[in-house]
Amino acid sequence: MALTITCPVCGKRNGYEFRYGGEDKGPRPDEAGLTPQSWCDYVHMNNCVAGVQKEWWFHKDGCGSWFTIHRNTTTNLQVATPEADR
Amino acid sequence: MMTRFNQLPTLRIDPTKKVIFNYKGKSCAGSEGDTVATALYANGVRVFARSLKYHRPRGLYSLDGECSNTCMEVDGIPNVRTENTLAKQGMEVKEQNVKGSAENDMMAFIDKLDWMMPAGFYYRTMHKPASMWPVAMKQIRKAAGLGVMSPDHVTPGKFDEIFPRTDVVVIGGGPAGMQAALAAADKGVRVIIMESRPWLGGFFDYRAAEYSKGKPLYSRARELAEKVEAHPGIRVLKHTSMVGAYSNNLVTGFQIGGEGDSFTERYVEIRANAVVVAVGCIERPLIFDNNERPGVMQVACAHRLARTYGILAGEKALFSVGHDLGLEAAIDLYDLGMKIACVADIREDGQNPELLLELAKRNIPVLKGWVVTKAHGSKQVKKATIATIDGTITRDFNCNVIVASAGFTPITGPLTLAGAKLRYDSHTNFFIPETLPEKTHIAGRMTGLEDSMAIEASGTLAGIKAAMDSLACTCCGSESASEGDSEGDSKEKSSSSSCCEACDDAALKAAEEALKALPGPSRGTKLVTAPVKGRKSFICFDEDTTIKNIKQAIEMGFDVPELIKRFTSAGTGPGQGGIPGHNLPLFVAKYEALSGVPAPVRPTTVRPPLVPTLIATYAGTNHIMMKRTPMDEMQRSDGGIFRKIGVWERARYFSDDFECKAEIENVRNNVGMLDGSTLGKFRIHGPDALKALQRVYTSDMSKIKPGRVKYSAMCNDDGCVIDDGVVIKIAENDYYFTTSTGRAGQTVEWVRYHTRYDGWDFNMVNLTDSMGVINLSGPNARKVLQKITDEDVSNEAFPFSAYKEFMVKDTIPVKAMRLGFVGELSYEFHVPSSYMVSLWNMLKEAGKEFGIKNFGVEAQNVLRMEKCHIILGQESEQRTNLLDLGLGFLWDRKKTDAKTVGAVALAQAEKDQTRFRLVGFKMENNGRAPKDGSLIVDDKVRGYICTARDSFSLNEAVGMALVESHMAKIGTRLEIFEDECGDQRIYGKVVPMPFYDPDGSRMKS
Repeated sequence: MALTITCPVCGKRNGYEFRYGGEDKGPRPDEAGLTPQSWCDYVHMNNCVAGVQKEWWFHKDGCGSWFTIHRNTTTNLQVATPEADR
Repeated sequence: MMTRFNQLPTLRIDPTKKVIFNYKGKSCAGSEGDTVATALYANGVRVFARSLKYHRPRGLYSLDGECSNTCMEVDGIPNVRTENTLAKQGMEVKEQNVKGSAENDMMAFIDKLDWMMPAGFYYRTMHKPASMWPVAMKQIRKAAGLGVMSPDHVTPGKFDEIFPRTDVVVIGGGPAGMQAALAAADKGVRVIIMESRPWLGGFFDYRAAEYSKGKPLYSRARELAEKVEAHPGIRVLKHTSMVGAYSNNLVTGFQIGGEGDSFTERYVEIRANAVVVAVGCIERPLIFDNNERPGVMQVACAHRLARTYGILAGEKALFSVGHDLGLEAAIDLYDLGMKIACVADIREDGQNPELLLELAKRNIPVLKGWVVTKAHGSKQVKKATIATIDGTITRDFNCNVIVASAGFTPITGPLTLAGAKLRYDSHTNFFIPETLPEKTHIAGRMTGLEDSMAIEASGTLAGIKAAMDSLACTCCGSESASEGDSEGDSKEKSSSSSCCEACDDAALKAAEEALKALPGPSRGTKLVTAPVKGRKSFICFDEDTTIKNIKQAIEMGFDVPELIKRFTSAGTGPGQGGIPGHNLPLFVAKYEALSGVPAPVRPTTVRPPLVPTLIATYAGTNHIMMKRTPMDEMQRSDGGIFRKIGVWERARYFSDDFECKAEIENVRNNVGMLDGSTLGKFRIHGPDALKALQRVYTSDMSKIKPGRVKYSAMCNDDGCVIDDGVVIKIAENDYYFTTSTGRAGQTVEWVRYHTRYDGWDFNMVNLTDSMGVINLSGPNARKVLQKITDEDVSNEAFPFSAYKEFMVKDTIPVKAMRLGFVGELSYEFHVPSSYMVSLWNMLKEAGKEFGIKNFGVEAQNVLRMEKCHIILGQESEQRTNLLDLGLGFLWDRKKTDAKTVGAVALAQAEKDQTRFRLVGFKMENNGRAPKDGSLIVDDKVRGYICTARDSFSLNEAVGMALVESHMAKIGTRLEIFEDECGDQRIYGKVVPMPFYDPDGSRMKS
């Protein structure tokens, strides 16, 4: 894996040390009023952006924290966090 | 054996040290530093191999492994590029793809049958009728192909891998690469330089021509190499071929270990901020009739053979070249004692006048505008025919070596892999990068430069650029470091300068000026083939592709080099396009222009690995590393038979009886001990610990009572069970819980993942390895425990499902639980790992009078199955949810605020009638137990057996199965299909669970 990821705790590290945690979809929805459809969408459906997306990573061989990064899915490079997200 | 030079200052062999190896059963002597190929050459071997298709004799051609000519079987490994492989004491070297020997191959007649095998013949013939193909294929495979691999071959050696991180990686250890490394390292960044040969120096290393007044090029190379190796900021990886480049400036390669290295070969994966590619050029082969006959070789091959290895390629040579290095080599080889029949130079003019003068001084005839058209001699060159470029006048010369080269071609593979777009440059006749990937720079000969000083200057410039790429500015805040790079790589810079190294472009400007003042790229020759028809003129040696084949392909309508490459297989051999990579697109463009369709010169695609690599090297070290419990040693000495279970090695049996009758009966009737240390053990504490538990566990964890054990399960978001275990409340906001063995590694990640948005304040500690577990089970368990503790452990004081902490012998702190996994009176002791052996010994001693015995994982498996206690992964698979297992009582549907993982899916699955159910069954008519995983069928598959055993305790065969819900009713007959059972079925019947001690009186008393 050519990806290099900057962990907020440990700094820039080899991508092998991390586990992907999926796109950032926001907090768990409230259970009241959830339909099978909307729940399935939350759990399984992805936007599959061709471009920059916000996503979760877990530093499994490091500090053990979950954090988000922005990654360009077409170049597989981590990009700087957009101003709006800082 | 010929005499070798042993005094040349350029030698890379040590003539005083002999290396003896076996070649075809005879012992062969080389010198230390020899490659297998050069040692064989010194021993008079000229025909190294036979070619893939036509079985033509092949010899030493390039010395850099660009073709399969010298591929041989070395120590049982086929297709070893012997010109890149150092000869070692005792090596076994054999020829390959021959019937007989390379010298006398019985298959050589095939060369005459080339008319039967036009381009792509195997695609177009032998497929009608279809039945013909398997027969034909068998014969072709026998006749063609390179090496043969024994199916049970195990590659000997030690393989390793390293993953270094650096600021700048320089690919290529020639003059430009070395200067780049020095320039970058002098800027204070960390540098790694990779060089495929075992030494630094590139094409300066073997040349005696003058670098500056009184200093030959080889001295300059050694001077630079010394500087590079002494520089504290540069890590030198010699004998390391680059094989791949990926995004993010990731460069991979492999290094061949030398004497004193702990590895035979190792995989190298470098993460860098910036890359300098300075891999130089290889020679572009000259194509003429029999252009691969042994005796035909490239300029650098003949030159290095003499200068580096001390071998004169032959007595008399004919040179047919297209560049000044060819003239230089002719002069140098003449001075070393080789007779030169003539130097035919493709170029009409433009030669370096000084070199022409030197040639004239030596009376070496130089024919400008001439080229070799044919090599004569059946197994070795005896004679050469040369002609004017237009082919009108010809002359013959007797010679036993033809030194031939059409020009140079840059090694563009690394650039292409890194993502550069190449374009054809008409001046240099090179493919040069149109755009370079971010933070990638090129330098040296591959840019078309020929002047030594200019090559070095381009290296310096690239080194400075790469260093600036990877430095973060410390003064003005300009962002030169990579995005998202928060790591401060740059050290404290001296404050005396107004600006920091990252912004200091004075050095950059100076380097740019220096390069500009020197000669720029020189003009390259464009000739691809001599004026020949091309029936025996080979564009690709590995795949035996001739110029005629290429013409055939074009005439069949293939117009793009990439397609022609596929159809004729030119460039798909072990040389990875080293021979045809450049000539093919040039020839195709030229040929198409003839037919009035001018086409751009387009390179073919290259892919990693750029040079052939052993799979063993990619595999690296053997990574099987199993965890062992604190009881490991003792369990082994007690006769434990170990099995790999997840990341652990565990004692599965304690006798050869894999049905474990004695172990099982001892637990049922007496008392046994099991090492349960592999269980996942965690502490979770902090103000929000309970919230986190409520999120991941399906039960209402707020109802845990102090001093009690709560059994619960975790589901995933689909409601499928992923884990079960017990939770204990140790104190306020402080819990201890266990997970199954297989889940221990992911539990912290899991809990944190599902609480990642909440910002809750809790901490988790993985105690799996620091705590051990002993399971003491059987009707006599209490009696044993009572002997080692003063604590009241009576059924009243320590009932089923209770939790107690106490000290044993005032020393060992024990967390004790009354559980009943195996269905008997049972205690689980959780103690620090370091006390495990002591506690175990105490229990063993105390249990002696009852005949306490070990029991293993298999006995436990049967015991718990009789009690219908599930093991996840056995009684469940990925799709099995909590309700399917009959564990719905573990799901608290009132705690919706907790947003429990899996709760929504469980609610949705609750009324689903199409799901499987876990049922207990016993076999009809006292039948035997079916194998685990057998299918339950009628006219369709209706489910499968999870676990089934012949139970000693019950005296019948019982088990658990997952079946369609309509078959879950008590009394349903199950038709069971075992693997390979044919028409035979066995039958069982659904019965109530559990089978053993249904009211639980044994485990609760």
